[in-house]
Amino acid sequence: MNLKLIKAIRDLSSNPRRTLLVVFAMVLGIWGVGTVEVSYVIMMNDLNANFQRTNPQQLVLTSAGFDKLDLARFVARPEIEAAEFRDFSLHRIEISPDVWIPLWLFGVENFDDFKLARVFREEGNKTPLKGTMLLERDGKKVSAIRLGSNPRVRIGGRNLRIPVSGICFDPGQAPATQDAFVYAYTDKETYRQVTGLPSNQRLILRLKNVHSAQDVARVSDRLVRELRGQGIEVSSADIPKFNEHPHQWQLNTLLFLIGSIGFLAFIMGAVLVSQLVRSIMANQVRQIGILKSIGASRFQLFRIYVLMLLLVGALSGVIAIPLAVKSGSAFAYFVAGKLNFDILTKTIPFQVYIYLMLASLLLPVLLSFSILLKGTRISVKAALSDYGISQKAVAREYPFLKKLRLPDPMILAIRNSQRNIPRLMVTIFAMAFGVAIFSTGFNVRQSLWNLLSGYKNEMRYDVQMVLNNPISREEALRPFKSLTNVKAVETWLGGRGEIQSKVISTDKGAGIVALPRNTEFLKLKIRDGRWLRPSKEIEIVLNQQALALYKNPAIGSTINFTVRNKQINGRVVGVTQQFERPKIYIDIQQFDALLNPDHSVNTISFVAADNGYKEVIALKKSIEKVISPSGLEVAYVMSQAERVKIIYDHLDIILSTIILLSFLVLVVSAVGMASATGINIWERTREIGVMRAIGATPKKIYVLFLNEGMITCVISILVGLLISYPLTKLAAVFFGRLMLGNDARLEYAFSPSGFFITLAVTLLFGWMASRIPAKSAIKVSTHSALSYE
Amino acid sequence: MITLEGVTKVFQTKERSFTALNNIHLAINRGEYVAIIGKSGSGKSTLLNMITGIDYPTEGKIVLNGTEIGQMNESRLATWRGKNIGIVFQFFQLIPTLTILENILIAMEFVNCIPRVERSERAKKLLSEVGILDQANKMPASLSGGEQQRAAIARAQANDPAIIVADEPTGNLDSKTAETINGILSSLARSGKTVIVVTHEKDSSFKYDRTVTLSDGSIVSTESKKESV
Repeated sequence: MNLKLIKAIRDLSSNPRRTLLVVFAMVLGIWGVGTVEVSYVIMMNDLNANFQRTNPQQLVLTSAGFDKLDLARFVARPEIEAAEFRDFSLHRIEISPDVWIPLWLFGVENFDDFKLARVFREEGNKTPLKGTMLLERDGKKVSAIRLGSNPRVRIGGRNLRIPVSGICFDPGQAPATQDAFVYAYTDKETYRQVTGLPSNQRLILRLKNVHSAQDVARVSDRLVRELRGQGIEVSSADIPKFNEHPHQWQLNTLLFLIGSIGFLAFIMGAVLVSQLVRSIMANQVRQIGILKSIGASRFQLFRIYVLMLLLVGALSGVIAIPLAVKSGSAFAYFVAGKLNFDILTKTIPFQVYIYLMLASLLLPVLLSFSILLKGTRISVKAALSDYGISQKAVAREYPFLKKLRLPDPMILAIRNSQRNIPRLMVTIFAMAFGVAIFSTGFNVRQSLWNLLSGYKNEMRYDVQMVLNNPISREEALRPFKSLTNVKAVETWLGGRGEIQSKVISTDKGAGIVALPRNTEFLKLKIRDGRWLRPSKEIEIVLNQQALALYKNPAIGSTINFTVRNKQINGRVVGVTQQFERPKIYIDIQQFDALLNPDHSVNTISFVAADNGYKEVIALKKSIEKVISPSGLEVAYVMSQAERVKIIYDHLDIILSTIILLSFLVLVVSAVGMASATGINIWERTREIGVMRAIGATPKKIYVLFLNEGMITCVISILVGLLISYPLTKLAAVFFGRLMLGNDARLEYAFSPSGFFITLAVTLLFGWMASRIPAKSAIKVSTHSALSYE
Repeated sequence: MITLEGVTKVFQTKERSFTALNNIHLAINRGEYVAIIGKSGSGKSTLLNMITGIDYPTEGKIVLNGTEIGQMNESRLATWRGKNIGIVFQFFQLIPTLTILENILIAMEFVNCIPRVERSERAKKLLSEVGILDQANKMPASLSGGEQQRAAIARAQANDPAIIVADEPTGNLDSKTAETINGILSSLARSGKTVIVVTHEKDSSFKYDRTVTLSDGSIVSTESKKESV
């Protein structure tokens, strides 16, 4: 075997603990980066691929006059790629006794020949039997309904049972778990029978040569005009997000998160690897001198150490890459489960393995290039004079330390910790960075919690019931007169949820919420301007999504929008911040005067007299019991706690990922600190011998090194917590925009529990990082320490 | 063959400057067995560092076999040194992670002047000459001090250099082992190599062709064997 290779292998095996630490650091770094890379490769492609394989619709036209449409001729138009009638209506389904959630029921033309918006068979029948339905698979996660179940469904004010004859997968829908819906599919005949609604009034289309929602809107306008010319009045033209899954934003956030934190973990790993290589080189100084004295050139020595790093890199890669593939795939499957899509990338592309192996082999060399160059540049004389105790080391004298009357070992530890200032700085900043990221993770989580708590404070009702269609106020309230534990009731039109938005929305798709301007049931946080007041003008308040939709109108300006084919000019008086679809708030009196002369309502909000959790749930069940025989067509009944949970569920996966990945960064930085402490100790092996020779007990030496490590740790924590303040501010702005929309603000928040967890975890890591090398330091005998070369 | 002309070495620290060698003029001939002796701090190790190119003079020049070593960069000098000078250190300085045989082979591999096929045979022959062939495949740590020093002498000859320089080669050994090591170095000189030994053992100076005595960085006396006899 090549002698240089032999030397490289034996050098590594001569200090197995250090080599294991280097391999561990590299495995950690490659595993972290690899996990990110693998999950990124899978998820980047798969959610969109799942969505695209449904051949999703780009336009939904609704009309009561589609019976006049010659569909075959219409589809033959040059701008239309595919079109079919897909009935849709909103009902309720009982998921456990007296617990009902919304049911999105679709009527499908032909389950064997989807032209677009395809669903895929999972269990049971592909085409539901007459009188039965297919359940979308995510519904199993929010209910006890399974293949063969016969759940109660509330349609048009009556309860009936629709058996489940199959389970299917619809990758085009938002996950049922997050939105607390169930999706179900029947054939058209069953749809008409069970709903009593006319069929073929909702046409879904996919267009040719369109590249954006604007292109779709242009074609849509033309089609609507031409259909009108044929006597077919289109009541609504909805344009879903162009070629994008409804929850793509969540995945994008996740991908960005894991990408950026993976990058940070990589940077930390890089610092760690370079620290460890520095340690190896520090131990090789005298050998470098000897080898140079017997004829080795700098380049030859450089090659030996590169070879050593390549060996470490190869070993780390062999261990880390399979781990990264496993954990990356597991993470992708976890996310796929949460977002309800199938993993289609069954085999990781070969290039990923190549990239990771190249990263394993080359990165340690590249990261340590300057250290190797510097290490092999040392002169023979300097190398041969290296005895581990540098007399050049200078430690500052701090008078205040004397005043503190610290014990001598502590003063010595403080002085020793400054002996290699550049290394101390790298160690402190690496660890501080880990602390800052970890702490920021908790603070951002706190910001989001505060946001959710804000929602709780804003929504001052306990239970809200929403009807499918507006009815008169008296008719809506009549069944609930005998309810107990109700302190106050209020009726709105529109409501705040996504479903209510469909009841009344503007031509651009912003939901209208018509409510008493002096409502005590909703106290939204006003970001700019003010809430609604009595006015002769039509006043409106927008949420930030509606603000963006209407191109950021200034407070006081007037915007024009169309509702129920009537143009309204509303003066923008305020902007609220919400994690919601676009919403426009308007005084119900003004709205009724404009568009709702019969004062119909679709939302009843209840405030409980006793609003303890159990009492509110009991009130909700009482409402459900009243609804059952009432004939009311109810979209849903939801407690405030459930609504907040739905919002939280949307953010949960992101919050969990933030904490998990920031913990990884902290672990990497702690290993970095352990390595730096280890280097300090290894470099001072002879000094340990000298101290032992002049009477220091192993315990004193242990305490000295432990103190040095803990001093570094405490400084790192302080610096890290300082850095976390601006970092949290930046992160809050960033995540606010990413999750709540471009114009949203997520307020800075300090997490006290996060602070204590960060403190405890970092101190624990710091203690371990100091203890392990300190323990190994006292195992060296006085003789071997003094003869250490 | 080795010429030092007006060599001065001044070490500069923040507090003061220290002249370790002061205007040294010295010529050592081919095949000569020379001892440089002096007390601790007299400058003998600094002089040895100048001759081997481990350190550079502040003033003056050093010429070995017609090559002025101050003109070469560190890397070129390393290869040149490996080919022309064999160094024996007081603390042996064997590579701890290589066997005795490999310690010799790696010196040949770095300099690459011995054909690859001949290296192993040559290394064993050198180990045999110093009497430790049976220890060839052992690690340095498992050898006694004397055996390690013999291995170091064998390694110094790996590339068949014309000059062998030894820095207190017996300073760390018992008197009997020291005698053996001195014998080996003496036989090297007899075989035609120039051998320069730095030592503080004045009483053993009789073995050398010439003894150069240093004090406070200057040559205070030069005594040849003929003169002493």
